[in-house]
Amino acid sequence: MALYPVALEGEIPVGTNIVVEIEGRSIGVYNVNGEYFAIHNYCPHQGAEICKGPVCGTNMESEVYQFIYGRDQEIVRCPWHGWEFDLKTGKSLFSDKVRVRSYPMQIQDGQLFITVGK
Amino acid sequence: MNQEEKLPVIDCDVHNGFRSNHDLFPYLDDTWKSQALLRGGGLPLGGGLPYASPIGNKRKDANPPSGLPVGADPDYMIKQLIEPFNVEYAILCSDSMIAVSSFADADYAAAMCRAYNDYLIAEWLPKSPTFKGLLCIATQDPIQAAREIDRIAPHPDIVGVSIIGGSRMPYGQRFFHPIYEACQRNDMPLVIHPGAEGSGIFNPPTAVGYVSNYLEWHSCLPQTYMAHLVSFVCEGVFEKYPDFKVVLSEGGVTWLPPLLWRLDKNFKALRASTPWLKRLPSEYVRDHCFMTTQPIEEPDNPKHLKMMFEMFDAENMLLFSSDYPHWDFDDPTKILKQFPLETKRKILSENARALFKL
Ligand code: FES
Repeated sequence: MALYPVALEGEIPVGTNIVVEIEGRSIGVYNVNGEYFAIHNYCPHQGAEICKGPVCGTNMESEVYQFIYGRDQEIVRCPWHGWEFDLKTGKSLFSDKVRVRSYPMQIQDGQLFITVGK
Repeated sequence: MNQEEKLPVIDCDVHNGFRSNHDLFPYLDDTWKSQALLRGGGLPLGGGLPYASPIGNKRKDANPPSGLPVGADPDYMIKQLIEPFNVEYAILCSDSMIAVSSFADADYAAAMCRAYNDYLIAEWLPKSPTFKGLLCIATQDPIQAAREIDRIAPHPDIVGVSIIGGSRMPYGQRFFHPIYEACQRNDMPLVIHPGAEGSGIFNPPTAVGYVSNYLEWHSCLPQTYMAHLVSFVCEGVFEKYPDFKVVLSEGGVTWLPPLLWRLDKNFKALRASTPWLKRLPSEYVRDHCFMTTQPIEEPDNPKHLKMMFEMFDAENMLLFSSDYPHWDFDDPTKILKQFPLETKRKILSENARALFKL
């Protein structure tokens, strides 16, 4: 397991992200309403660079003919075929088994770190 | 790079976009230019599709740095599609143009097609030796359409004729035969591409009417193709025009085997309704029809796709397509992973090379 410094707190304003290269892997770091999450910049479907996709909300599970918009800024949508992923867990919204790889983050003295490896 | 990644690709469905809705004006004569202006000041290219994708129909990472609209910058298309995916030829099909067949005014639609074909030849095909074009015709008046095929097909970089799947009647019917005769005369395959099923003068997009949203509409598109395909065969189009070839673009592939089983079975009993057919319907399909791969079906178990491919002559009937720059783009290095190299080579380029004589 290794910790990699990626940015200072404040360098990634709420609702934005950066993409960093760590151990040859492209990783996106997102500020979701003040919390930080890191995902592999590689869609599990056909491998698109997922961090080029929009960060958005979505229609949440609901009753028939009901539309409830929510989770604003918590979803990243793949730029190719539109699969939605939960930035907080990496899970796709249609199956728990399909997920973009996510990496734990830590903050120490205002410095953001990504944990890569076991 | 391994050997597989180096396989050449002929991409049979690439969408060249317009820079602005005035692109065709220099190619329209005054009668039609004023008509186009009256109908909204630009390029009114469809009869109003009552569906829209909630995520847009373009890839979100395909905006050219030049600021031009997605798909409208040939240089960026070369950089984002042609070079990285080893595309030897990209067959350009204007999905917005083919929607003109949904207008009520046949002459307006034919004029727009003439303008588009001249524009395609002047502004796209010279941009790269990898670009080949599908000329566009409007289906409202097959006689004018045939004339347009005769006018444009001799151009060396035009390799086929494109129409949309949406229609007022099944494509095998005699009304359309002048188009097929012109295709055969000019040695041009007919490429049918979806896009505006249910709009304008077209019939509803499914046999039971209008579904409620884009998800349903898009998923039901093969219905339209099934009806056209059965019609082509049963109306004897391939007997009448033995060199005529049809490409069913972007309509899925795995629905084909069960449809042909049903058609063959019925034919054995009902042959007398179509006494001009000399072989089983499926044999005409195998010899005259092609399907593009994208959007390829993705069963949870990839082996199931392989099994479906074994149920028809997939290796010779499929043509790779990416649908760049649309939202359901397929990556040629990803979609055929479970198939042997030779099958891949055929689907990725050799079948298209033979069909389009590239
Ligand atoms: S590559 Fe991401 S959804 Fe297809």
